Amino acid sequence: MIKTRELTKTVPTSDGTLQILKPISFSIEAGETVAIVGASGSGKSTLLSLLAGLDTATSGEIELNGQRLDKMDEEQRATLRGQDVGFIFQAFMLVQSLTALENILLPAQIAGLENAEQHAKNILEQVGLSHRADHYPNQLSGGEQQRVAIARAFICKPKILFADEPTGNLDAENGQKVEQLLFSLNRESGTTLVLVTHDTQLAQKCDRQLIMQAGQLSEAIKQEAQRVG
Amino acid sequence: MWANLAWRLFRHEMRRGELTIILFAIVLSVSAVLSLSLFSARLQSALTEKSAEFIAADRELVSSKKVEDSWLQKASQLGLNQALQRYTRSMVFANNKMQLVDVRAVDNHYPLKGKVKISVTPFAPPQETDTLPKTGEVWIDSRLFQVLQVNLGDDIEIGDAVLKIGGVVADIPDRGFSVFGNDHLLLMSMQDFAATHLDGPGSRIGYSYFFTGTAAQLSDYDDWITPNLNRELHRWRSIEDDDSAIGRSVKRAERYFLLASLLAIVLASVSIAVAAQRYSQRHFDPVAIMKTLGASRATVQKIYLVQLLLITFSAIAIGLVIGFAVQQLVIQAVADKVSVDLSGWYWQPILMAVFTGFICALLFSMYPLMRLFSVPPLRVLRRDIGANLSSKSIQLLSCGGAIFLLMLIFSGDWKMSLILFGCGILLVLGLIAFTFVLIRLGHKLGQGRISAWQLAWARIRRRSMDNAVQLISFSITLLLLLVVLVMRNDMIGQWRAQLPQDTPNYFIANITAQQLPELKQHFADLNVKTGDLYPLIRGRMAAVNGEMVRTAVSKDDDDTENRGRRGLGREAGLTWLDQIQDGNKLVAGKWFSGQSDELEVSVEQKIAERLDIKLGDVLTFNIGARVLEAKVTSLREVNWQSMKPNFYFVLQPQAMQDFPATYVTSFYLDGQDKALLTQLLAPFASISLFDVDARINQLREIIDQVSLAVEFILVLVLIAGALVLVSQVQASMDERQQELTILRTLGAKGRLIRLSVIFEFVIIGLVAGLMAAAANELTLYLLQSQIFEMESQFHWQFWWQAPLIGAGLVGALGAASCWRLLSLNTAHLLRNMF
Repeated sequence: MIKTRELTKTVPTSDGTLQILKPISFSIEAGETVAIVGASGSGKSTLLSLLAGLDTATSGEIELNGQRLDKMDEEQRATLRGQDVGFIFQAFMLVQSLTALENILLPAQIAGLENAEQHAKNILEQVGLSHRADHYPNQLSGGEQQRVAIARAFICKPKILFADEPTGNLDAENGQKVEQLLFSLNRESGTTLVLVTHDTQLAQKCDRQLIMQAGQLSEAIKQEAQRVG
Repeated sequence: MWANLAWRLFRHEMRRGELTIILFAIVLSVSAVLSLSLFSARLQSALTEKSAEFIAADRELVSSKKVEDSWLQKASQLGLNQALQRYTRSMVFANNKMQLVDVRAVDNHYPLKGKVKISVTPFAPPQETDTLPKTGEVWIDSRLFQVLQVNLGDDIEIGDAVLKIGGVVADIPDRGFSVFGNDHLLLMSMQDFAATHLDGPGSRIGYSYFFTGTAAQLSDYDDWITPNLNRELHRWRSIEDDDSAIGRSVKRAERYFLLASLLAIVLASVSIAVAAQRYSQRHFDPVAIMKTLGASRATVQKIYLVQLLLITFSAIAIGLVIGFAVQQLVIQAVADKVSVDLSGWYWQPILMAVFTGFICALLFSMYPLMRLFSVPPLRVLRRDIGANLSSKSIQLLSCGGAIFLLMLIFSGDWKMSLILFGCGILLVLGLIAFTFVLIRLGHKLGQGRISAWQLAWARIRRRSMDNAVQLISFSITLLLLLVVLVMRNDMIGQWRAQLPQDTPNYFIANITAQQLPELKQHFADLNVKTGDLYPLIRGRMAAVNGEMVRTAVSKDDDDTENRGRRGLGREAGLTWLDQIQDGNKLVAGKWFSGQSDELEVSVEQKIAERLDIKLGDVLTFNIGARVLEAKVTSLREVNWQSMKPNFYFVLQPQAMQDFPATYVTSFYLDGQDKALLTQLLAPFASISLFDVDARINQLREIIDQVSLAVEFILVLVLIAGALVLVSQVQASMDERQQELTILRTLGAKGRLIRLSVIFEFVIIGLVAGLMAAAANELTLYLLQSQIFEMESQFHWQFWWQAPLIGAGLVGALGAASCWRLLSLNTAHLLRNMF
């Protein structure tokens, strides 16, 4: 489902260039749940942004659902994201001026799905927030906002779901609720889940763990990479 | 899909007040433009209507020959009303006396505008009448009764006809304003004119054709007749091209309304620019989210353009309603002072308001929207990433271009637009330079322990670019308010100065040198103060450097600026003075030195231009049977609007010693003392009296009305400006909110935060005020000297007032916004922030 080959990312700084990602090669199979773990600043969010086509790599190849992301322009990547990818963010990233239901509807509308509204209501019920459909994000608690974000991520039945620290902004109780919801919906829909976190407990719930350290994958991942290569 | 989403976003954001600022800015621009231009259109029409009374019509065709019948038939076809007047100067005889008079023969449609005024007996108070002299009779003015020593019912001989004096004419609408150009007036019926045979060979009969009609009819006729006119024979007049005091005042007021509307547009544009910037920044996240969720750039563009169009449409609709209501309120408020017709409907102001709304909304939002569209999806992960696009040149081009385009379209006046725009650019450049000084200052002053002062300077330094934008918007707002305010002060001041309360309302002429001491004593005994005495002699300028001026003169006759000076070329009033008159300005050469052997003459600048007279030319005057040659040693600019005797030619006193002069002077009598007139003049039967009281009152009335209208426009612009300032401060508080919230969260006391914000705004207001004062001086100088034809003056008082007002106003508004922010609870602020 996801393949990378010799993927790197460097950025210019005032002292020259900084290599955030050193050449990385690995693959993730369809339906797998994978956690990318590592300390802050290790490059895991950068890797996620490249895998999801939100940013472009300096060199190397990325294949997403059989399509070469690194050969696409911004528009093509957006289309691909709209068709195959869902997102969950640490900061929820809901559109403040839309209600909970409308936020869930947003990707469906962008993708031009029909009967999206009923589907959105169903999924809102699944995340236990049907009574909050007409509430705006700032009228919801952090946990509720993240549940809305999860519902939004699943409405288009994405093939791949990227989650960036999905419980990072939540307390333990809400964090657990969100975790359960995320994994149960993921199981139901058979989505490939790529999750970035520094929460080792959350990471352990995934099939595999990729460890980022100073822009490099840990040894276990290297073995994986060799296996692929 | 995107339309649905755009509509949903628009609906929710509208409900949640997210769009208030940008909506408010467009509403402001539309309502300001509509109310100002609708009000000024209505007022101009009211003033033009009133002023039209001064030419007795909406249009007048003055011709030295009878025009072809087809011209009048065309006017009839177009539905215009017409009247005819034939005029000439001729000797009249009565009671064994003779006098040159201004003969006006009119048909029974005359006058189309205004009223003829008559008196029951000579010098009795004038009253309006709808009647005209009957066949076989004439009406003459009070002075002519005095000069000819005739009574009502006596006969008077004009050319070959003998007619009966049937009335006292006090005034006719198209008499003209010149105090000395007017001969005694004689009004008669057109039917009697043929019998006078005044139109025989060699006579100089003029024809005035008067027309009234709707604006459209007049404009059609304007278009039709203009190509047919012969400059040598015809003059096509409307009150708009009237160069009299009234005409000029109305014109100047129109320019002021135009200026005020232009400035209102700029004000609104500034507020839209600020609002659009804020709108764009607030939507960075939604755009990043939509792009992340797969929206293409085109989809995002469509969503926001539709949203902007929805905002624009709603704002224009609201703005039109508010603008119309404001205009209606203002008109009702001035109703008892100015009679403005509310029934007329003017499409142009409405179209202009709608157009302004669109242009402002689209062009000023262009750059902020382009920035918004460039926000990368990566922002969902990296919140510090903003827009990818950062090109100040696009911003300056789109904003500057929009402002200039609007100014030009609205005013149709390149010069005014360039002056305002150029001064604005200079102001912006000056402010950018000043910002760098502030940054350096801020670096020094912002050091040391944490205090409100230090926080304020630190913020100014850190937010230098944002502050530069803010400084520019504050300064432009203050500049525009200053320009409107000071221009109004200067303009009204100069109008009032033109007609002070004791402006002479009577002129007396034909005073002999022998009568002078007695007259002075007599007037002093009756407690009436006379003005300056001017010697006067009638003379004719016959040649320039030995070349006869006949052709030049006949051309001039067709070209004269108003009827009062029509006689120039054949005979002009010549005077001689030691010193240049008050209100005259030497523009070339030197005043009489008295050293030269040659006789010297000073010539009025415009007539010199028209007759191609240059310094050093020798002019020949025929005075009676004598010939006098004088060398032009100076050219003077004359303020013809002053109600004072003014002269085309002023001669050196030595040249005139041998000529028997009469004198003219003026005096002021207020309404209650008018009974004194007869007593004043009784001992001096030969003296002629010129009563300009009614003229002055009319002029004063119009100027008062225009002044009042100008005051209202000023108030409207000031309110609009204040609202813009509020929205600017509001917008900038938004930007400061995050920092203040953090300070608050970290436990900074409300007083510290509040004071630091007040200091920051006071410093910005102070600088904005100072820079606005400087730019104001330049703008006013250019506007007054180039557009308003006014004397420009230095306004030193605004150099300290503007910074103080700027500091006070901006500081107070900052404090108010800050107070609102600090009254919210910190948790609420934090939640809104993240």
